[in-house]
Amino acid sequence: MSEQALDNASNLAPGQARCPNEPTTQEIIARDKVGAPTWVRSESYAYMGSDDVTIDRYVDPAYAQKEFDRLWTRTWQFACREEHIPEVGDYYVYDIGRNSFIVTRTAENEVKAFYNACLHRGTKLRASNTEGCASEFTCPFHGWTWNLDGSLQKATCDWDFPHVKEDEFGLPEAKVELLAGFVFINMDHDAPPLAEYLGDDFLGHLKSWKMENRYIVGHVAKVIPANWKLTMEAFMEAYHVIETHPQVAVSNADANSQYDTYGEHVNRFISSLGVLSPHLRGQYTEQDVLDQFTVGDSSVLSGADRQLKEGETARQRMADMMREMFEKATNSDLSGVSDSELLDCFSYTVFPNTFLFAGISLPMVYRFRPVANDHRKCLYEVFFLRPVPKDGNRPEPAECVMLEEHQSFKEAEGMDPGFGEILDQDTENLLLQQEGLEATAKPGITLGNYQEIRVRHFEATVDKYVADNA
Amino acid sequence: MSSEFTRFCPLADVPVGGKKAAKINDTWVMVCNTNDGLFAVSAICSHQDKPLFNGRVRNCKVTCPVHGARFDLKTGEPLDLPATKPIATYEVRVVDDWVEVCL
Ligand code: FES
Ligand code: FES
Ligand SMILES: [Fe+2]
Repeated sequence: MSEQALDNASNLAPGQARCPNEPTTQEIIARDKVGAPTWVRSESYAYMGSDDVTIDRYVDPAYAQKEFDRLWTRTWQFACREEHIPEVGDYYVYDIGRNSFIVTRTAENEVKAFYNACLHRGTKLRASNTEGCASEFTCPFHGWTWNLDGSLQKATCDWDFPHVKEDEFGLPEAKVELLAGFVFINMDHDAPPLAEYLGDDFLGHLKSWKMENRYIVGHVAKVIPANWKLTMEAFMEAYHVIETHPQVAVSNADANSQYDTYGEHVNRFISSLGVLSPHLRGQYTEQDVLDQFTVGDSSVLSGADRQLKEGETARQRMADMMREMFEKATNSDLSGVSDSELLDCFSYTVFPNTFLFAGISLPMVYRFRPVANDHRKCLYEVFFLRPVPKDGNRPEPAECVMLEEHQSFKEAEGMDPGFGEILDQDTENLLLQQEGLEATAKPGITLGNYQEIRVRHFEATVDKYVADNA
Repeated sequence: MSSEFTRFCPLADVPVGGKKAAKINDTWVMVCNTNDGLFAVSAICSHQDKPLFNGRVRNCKVTCPVHGARFDLKTGEPLDLPATKPIATYEVRVVDDWVEVCL
C-alpha cells in the first residue's frame, strides 16, 4: 500500500476501507451497456469485528464431533436436485457424516427423506452413494418392507413380532423443502422454514436466477485433504487470486471485488471480469486484458474476433462476445441479460455447505461435506448447470465423476481445462494450510475486514450452532 | 457355448430409453435400448435372484428395484452393495428390424 492509501484507510472506521484509487464493483458495473438488475446493484456489507478466528475448528476432531452433533443435525442442506428424482419412486441417497437419508419422490409434488436404516436390526435399506427407483423399500437382511410413503408394509414372520405396532414403525423422516429445483433437508423438526432460514433478500435473488429451469450437465467430485470449512473458505474471497491464480488476475477485478452478507446463512461476492486487477495497474493494456480473458466454459468462445477498436473496453467487448456465443451455444435468447450477469462471478454461500453461482459464464453449484470420522478430509463436488434446452426436454442429470486424490480436475470428462486448472490451484494450497494450522504457534487466523468478511461471517454462524447446545 | 443368435423382439418394441424382458429357452433376458446403444443382460439380479426388469436404467446402468444394487449394462459388473457378483451379459444385434440375442 502507498503511504497515501494508508493515510486514507486510517481515517476510516474499520471495515470501511476499500481498494484505493480503483473503481468499485458497482462503478464497474454501472458503466456497462446492458444494465444489471437490482440483485446485482446492491450492497450489504457490515463490519463484524477484527478478532482472530480460533483454529480448533479446523484441527480438533472433538470440534468436528460437535459439528456433527449440533450443526449438521440442525441446518438445511442441499441433498439432491429434483431432476435426480423426477418420477414417483425415484430416490437418491444423501449422506452427511454417518447419517444417511433416502430422499424419494412419494407423489408428484411430494418428496420425503427417510433415515436410511432398517427398524429391525439396522441394516441400511439402500447403499450409500446410490440412486434408483423403487416401489417399496425392502431390507436385504430379513426382508422387512416399507411402502414408498414410509409406512411399514411387512415385518417378515409378523407372528413373532406382536410388539411391532405398524403405526410405531414408519420410517423416521427429516424435514424436506423444495426450492429452485433443489431438494433441501433438515434433521431438526423445530428448524425454521427454509424461506425464513435463507431470508427475503436472498430469496429475491434466487428467484430471478430460475435455477429450477436448469439441469446438471456435469458433476465432478474429489476428496480434498483438508477440513471442510478450510476447503469452503478457499472459495470465499478473490483476495487469493493474484497469488494463487496469476493467469486470471489480468482480467479480474480481484482487490476491488464486492462482499456482502445476508442474515446468518447467506453471503456472497461479486468479482468483475474483463477488468485489470488493481495489483497490475499500468502493466497491461486493454487489449492484453481481452487477450487473456478466460471463462469457465471457454469452448463457447472459440473463433471470436478479439481485436479491440479505438476506445473500446475489453469488458464491453467480452460482454458482447459472450452474449452472442452463449446464445448460439445454448440456443437461448439472452438479449435481456445484463453484461454483468454474462461476465461476472457471483459466488454465494448458503450455510452450511453449498455455493451457488448466479450468472451465465460460471453456472455452477459447489457442495462440501466432511468425510465421516476424518476432520481432515472434505468431499468437494462441482455441479455444472445449464438451462434446459428450448424444446423443454430435460436431459438426464450427469452422473458423478469421482476423481482420485492425486488426479487433476482437468482429467474429469467434460471439464474445461482452464477451469480445471483454477480448481487445481484452489485446492493445492489446502493440505499445506491444514498442516500449517496443525503446526502453528498462533491460536487463530487473522482476516481482512472487508475482503475476508465471508469467512468471518461463515465462521460466526458455525460458532453459533456449535456453541448452542440446544 | 453356442454362438447362435435368437430373435428376441421387433426393434420397435424397445425404443431408445425402453427395455423388455423375455425368456430365451430357460433364460430370462432383458434388452435395454440406451443412448449408448442396445444391451442384453440377465433379467435376474445376482444378489437374491429377484427380477431386475422393473429397474431404472440411467447412464448405461440398471438399478435393481428390490435392494438397489446397480449393474453396468456393458460389463454386467455390480457397482454397489448389496450385490457383489456380476450379471450375465449377452451379445445383441439388429437384423431386419429384429433384435437378436446370442446366449
Ligand atoms: S435388519 Fe432389516 S429386516 Fe432385519
Ligand atoms: S435382489 Fe437385486 S439388489 Fe437384492
Ligand atoms: Fe480461487
